[in-house]
Amino acid sequence: MTDALVLRDVRKTYGQREAVHGVSLTVHEGEIFGLIGHNGAGKTTILRMISTILKITSGTIEVYGKDTAKESDEVRKLISYLPEDAGAYKDLTGRAYLSFMASFFVSGEEKKAMVEKGIQLADLGDKIDYRVDTYSKGMMRRLLIARAIMTSPKLAIMDEVTSGLDVINAYEIREVIREIARSGVTVVMSSHNMFEVDMLCDRVGMVDQGNLIDVGTPAELKEKYGKETLEEVFVTAVKGA
Amino acid sequence: MNHLTTIVKKEVKELLTPGSVASVMIMVILFACLGGLIGGEISKNTELPVIGIANYEDQVVDTVSGEWNAYEMLKNIYINSGIPASKIDSYVFKLDSDDLLTEMTEKGLPLALVLSDSFKQDVESGKYGKIYQYYVYEPSGMISGTVSSTVGSTLIGIMNKSLSQYMVGSQEEYAHYSFIVSPIDGSGTVTYIKGVAHDDVTPSAISSALSGQTMLIPMIIMIIIMMVGSIVISSMGSEKENKTLETLLTLPIKRTTIVTGKIIAAAVVGLVFGLAYMIGMSFYIGSLTGITVDGSTVDLAELGLSLGVADYALVALSMFLSIACALGICMILGAFAKNYKSAQTMTMPLSILAIIPMFIVMFSGWYGSNILIKCLLFIIPFSHPMMATEALLNGDVTLVIAGIVYMIAFATVAILVTVRLYRSDILITGLNQNKYVEKLLGNGKHKSR
Repeated sequence: MTDALVLRDVRKTYGQREAVHGVSLTVHEGEIFGLIGHNGAGKTTILRMISTILKITSGTIEVYGKDTAKESDEVRKLISYLPEDAGAYKDLTGRAYLSFMASFFVSGEEKKAMVEKGIQLADLGDKIDYRVDTYSKGMMRRLLIARAIMTSPKLAIMDEVTSGLDVINAYEIREVIREIARSGVTVVMSSHNMFEVDMLCDRVGMVDQGNLIDVGTPAELKEKYGKETLEEVFVTAVKGA
Repeated sequence: MNHLTTIVKKEVKELLTPGSVASVMIMVILFACLGGLIGGEISKNTELPVIGIANYEDQVVDTVSGEWNAYEMLKNIYINSGIPASKIDSYVFKLDSDDLLTEMTEKGLPLALVLSDSFKQDVESGKYGKIYQYYVYEPSGMISGTVSSTVGSTLIGIMNKSLSQYMVGSQEEYAHYSFIVSPIDGSGTVTYIKGVAHDDVTPSAISSALSGQTMLIPMIIMIIIMMVGSIVISSMGSEKENKTLETLLTLPIKRTTIVTGKIIAAAVVGLVFGLAYMIGMSFYIGSLTGITVDGSTVDLAELGLSLGVADYALVALSMFLSIACALGICMILGAFAKNYKSAQTMTMPLSILAIIPMFIVMFSGWYGSNILIKCLLFIIPFSHPMMATEALLNGDVTLVIAGIVYMIAFATVAILVTVRLYRSDILITGLNQNKYVEKLLGNGKHKSR
């Protein structure tokens, strides 16, 4: 099985405070890997380091064998990052936004095809030609996921992807993520929602105060901690109860 | 389409929204209207106002040349200024001195001349005859207030000369009398400009003629700098708020391309807006300079005080570089903006840096400043295009070239710092999580587990 993502003893220091303490993990190709943890645990920092927008203080991160520190330009061709609560350029229509993003990957007919793929993924109907500042949160999320996926990344990184969405929208977004994983895209996502992670992720990493405290499939973790739900597993792992 | 063009196109589209274009157009129209308003106010105040005269009936002065009547004299002044004799009663009103205020208010007269009860007697007995000027004060602007009182004094002056002529006698005798009173003619002036003597021109007349350029250029530069600054910093704040910057930074584009794209787009939009402001402002300044110019025209080219093609090229280069410096500063400031709201406050340092040289250049200029002010002017990059015109008119090319060299160095350093910031974590995390800032603030000494 190919390793899509490898973190080796990754540390991140903000000023004099260490936010991530020596995290090591491996994510396999086509896997949906979830990072769970409370606010400020270090999930977003780990995802931002994988996405090359934050520098690693020490350790290494490799995306399909490419070092994020030394070959960041190459890594950016392989990944797609969706920040938490991200927006799009307000003055553009959904279609223009997808076209703008596609311009950085391909041109000509290939670009047209990529934009068309994005429009299908977003599934916004005629709203795709509306300005994005008229979109609801769910519509915006669909557009951004479409943007993240239309470029056919090998690794999709999604931070709190369903945060703030209603039940229907969250369900639909999870279906989209399952679909893209089936097409061979590796997904690394973070979430507060243990239920979502339990249902969606092949494997889960639990993060607490910058430490990766355990990794395994939801079933393995439940068995290991003798708990019924992933939520109970997390609480037990963090509080030691 | 390459990545740079894509970024520039997107930025320009974002910046040139109907809202931003409309607000600039409104400002341009406002400036133009304000100019028209001031121009109209000036011309209104240089015209003779409607006037009243009181206590003149029994004050006809007997002179060697005949009777001198103040009311008739006043009417003649108005008729000679172009007012038709048939309409003179609508301009010069006969008033009752006992109820002056009521009559002035009812007729809307800002000014009335009232002869003293002993005017005739005083003048005929060789004493000064008194004419009082009565004004009705109405809150008004600087221009309308001062001009109307000048008109009152001017009218008294004309009446004075007229009565004097009546009292002296024939034209020959009056000419002789005028000579005796002021035998010195000081109207001939010679001003040396760059070592060359020029007749019949004074330094103040030259300053008035140049004031259009010396006021307009600093104001335009200030507006462009503030506008470009606001555009770039707000764009950065907005990108951070919407997290579009995070997305942009994970795309396969070089950081230098993002920085360059933003700079080019802001420069283009800033120049377009600046040009629009320049048109509106030229109307405004044109009307203001009308206050100081005394009606005589000064041919600056004839005095060797005009710019050649090479001079204009230097001024344009200086302007371009100052915008580049402003954009460099803005990109640095914008990197620290947390969101759109905080970005608005970030423009303050830039605005101050643009306003300080504008006022110094407008009021004292480089050559009228002391060494400390000169140092301040030189250090602020935006001063250089503001000073360039004055320096080139004075033949001081060295100052302009030195400014250009300084601005090239300044812009290069600013852009290098910007690119470095774009490659650092500060763009995402802000200053609070920077180790130097934490050391400075004494925070973050603990280390989490």
